[in-house]
Amino acid sequence: MSGAPCRLAALGQVSALGRTRADVYARLCAGDASRLTLDSERVPERSLWLGEVREPLPAIPAPLARFACRNNQLALAALEPIAAEVQAAVARFGPARVGVVVGTSTSGVGDAEAAIAHRERTGVLAHEFFYDQLEFGGLARFVAEAIGAKGPAYTLSTACSSGGRALASARALVALRACDAVVSGAADSLCGLTTNGFAALGALSAAVTNPCSANRDGLTLGEAGALFLVTGEPGGIQLLGVGDSSEAHHMSAPDPEGRGAETAMRDALADAGVAAAEIAYVNLHGTGTPQNDVMEAAAVARVLGTNVPCSSTKPLVGHTLGAAGAIEAAFCWLVLAERHGDALALPPHVWDGARDPALAPIHLVAKGEVARVGARALVMTNSFGFGGNNCTLVLGASDSR
Amino acid sequence: MKASLLRWAAWAPGIDSSAAWEAWAKAPLPLPATGSPEAKFLPAMLRRRCTPLTRTMLSAAFACAEPAELAQLRTVFASRHGSINESIGLLENVVRREKLSPATFSHTVHNAQAGLFSIAAGNRAASSSLAAQEDTWTAAFLEALAFLERDPRAPVLVVVGDVPLAETFAPLVEEAAVPYAFAAQLAAPGAGPGVELELVPARDSAPAAAPWPPALEFLRWWLSGESQLEQRNRASVARWRKVDPG
Repeated sequence: MSGAPCRLAALGQVSALGRTRADVYARLCAGDASRLTLDSERVPERSLWLGEVREPLPAIPAPLARFACRNNQLALAALEPIAAEVQAAVARFGPARVGVVVGTSTSGVGDAEAAIAHRERTGVLAHEFFYDQLEFGGLARFVAEAIGAKGPAYTLSTACSSGGRALASARALVALRACDAVVSGAADSLCGLTTNGFAALGALSAAVTNPCSANRDGLTLGEAGALFLVTGEPGGIQLLGVGDSSEAHHMSAPDPEGRGAETAMRDALADAGVAAAEIAYVNLHGTGTPQNDVMEAAAVARVLGTNVPCSSTKPLVGHTLGAAGAIEAAFCWLVLAERHGDALALPPHVWDGARDPALAPIHLVAKGEVARVGARALVMTNSFGFGGNNCTLVLGASDSR
Repeated sequence: MKASLLRWAAWAPGIDSSAAWEAWAKAPLPLPATGSPEAKFLPAMLRRRCTPLTRTMLSAAFACAEPAELAQLRTVFASRHGSINESIGLLENVVRREKLSPATFSHTVHNAQAGLFSIAAGNRAASSSLAAQEDTWTAAFLEALAFLERDPRAPVLVVVGDVPLAETFAPLVEEAAVPYAFAAQLAAPGAGPGVELELVPARDSAPAAAPWPPALEFLRWWLSGESQLEQRNRASVARWRKVDPG
């Protein structure tokens, strides 16, 4: 463990909550679940709520047409607000010292569906289809080309923990001095493969997802992009700790005891060198599936107790899969960035309020709830993925920034 | 950027022992384009859920550590294509508006090999899965260094592998399309024979496909008497050097 500074120096994001910092923060703290939409096209014979990004996305620049796909458009939308900071980093450190570590679970597979559909009709793939559009590594290469970075660039894909894991590796590459700055985060796009795949697993909620409720019946899918400029500078908002684990249990269900989640949270606290009592807010993985919420609540209660304010923001944007760890770190970043003195306005837990007696009695954030923090504010975010891959991050901001 | 390479293992059709790889490295020939290991070390229940890629990568992984280590090592799994061949069938289901197989869907995540390794080895340690086009092997090495930076006390098992792309996408990619996997235990410098990586940006466009995958070119070099290797990837040039321990 280096203990070296790791500054999340700038953030761009796009999700169902919007693209501008002001819009996203206002809707996040209001618990605005009105951004989800009901879709009846994607999965045969059923309708489902989705956290779709409905506003127009930037077009892929012509020289990068080989990478054209919705997933990369989400990444580009997340890059736009931080373009000046990223360009300044490339100029300051040199292109070879700027890396890219990004997560996705979909890459351009949504656009590959169109190519396969074209083949079904005509016998050949759409001729404008490139493998760069589809492959997982294409996201990192696209971001690197878009910003002119020539350092290491790779895509992490550990299902729903991809985004958190990307930030963990970006921090390590900076500490290793392999890079002076890394653009890191994730992008994940709604597509027929994930909507139909989760439908086949019986994992989708009939109504909007209702995490921690006795009435919860599954998750709501969404899409998002969130990219940070990560540097080795002190101050500002820091990525203080990372914890991660595997489950050795099942490909698509968590260990019911939450042992893997517990390890990730404990290791993140130890890595950050902070006590459990210092955590002011936990952004839960909180998918709204029966299995996730019961094991996560139990793990949170064991590691942090039942007083720490917790919420799932998935009822606002959906489960954005490979981007979840990054967009939820983005929400935590906003919460810290908008701190006023000792007051930390928290994203509410939006649900029906029907507490499940089978769940550990963790404290779920009410609308308008504000946490009081001391000289430094610390928050935690969890992401747990298929294949039994868990990642927890601890972010913090100090008065001395 | 330095690490120790404590142990390695690799699998390709017909080349599945260290002696066979030593012989290949002395007189390397292009590798067979088809074949996959049986992976009999896996319980039958689990083996049934393994794709050819999973059996290939897990064969190299299990040959690269003692049973007790397999349950403890942090892991990096790297594959350019991952489970894309299995995803094609699911995409056809989607396009035809057919029901998807839930088991197939949950086994086509890019970290399927890592997940099944964790289950088979009883491993609860940190694990990463990645892809980086033609730069996948060097990215895997770097990701292992990232784990070592976070905790240098324990080695990391890095496993890289692929199988040839199915015909739907194969014409779109120029590469040595062979089934293979390479695994290495990497540790902090000083723990064993040393290897140093210097990455510099590539100056021109992508090179012609090499006769075998970059990870196996690395293995060929590691087993040779050559002190340095320069590998041209898509976006970077990897300069490898052997360094004395300590």
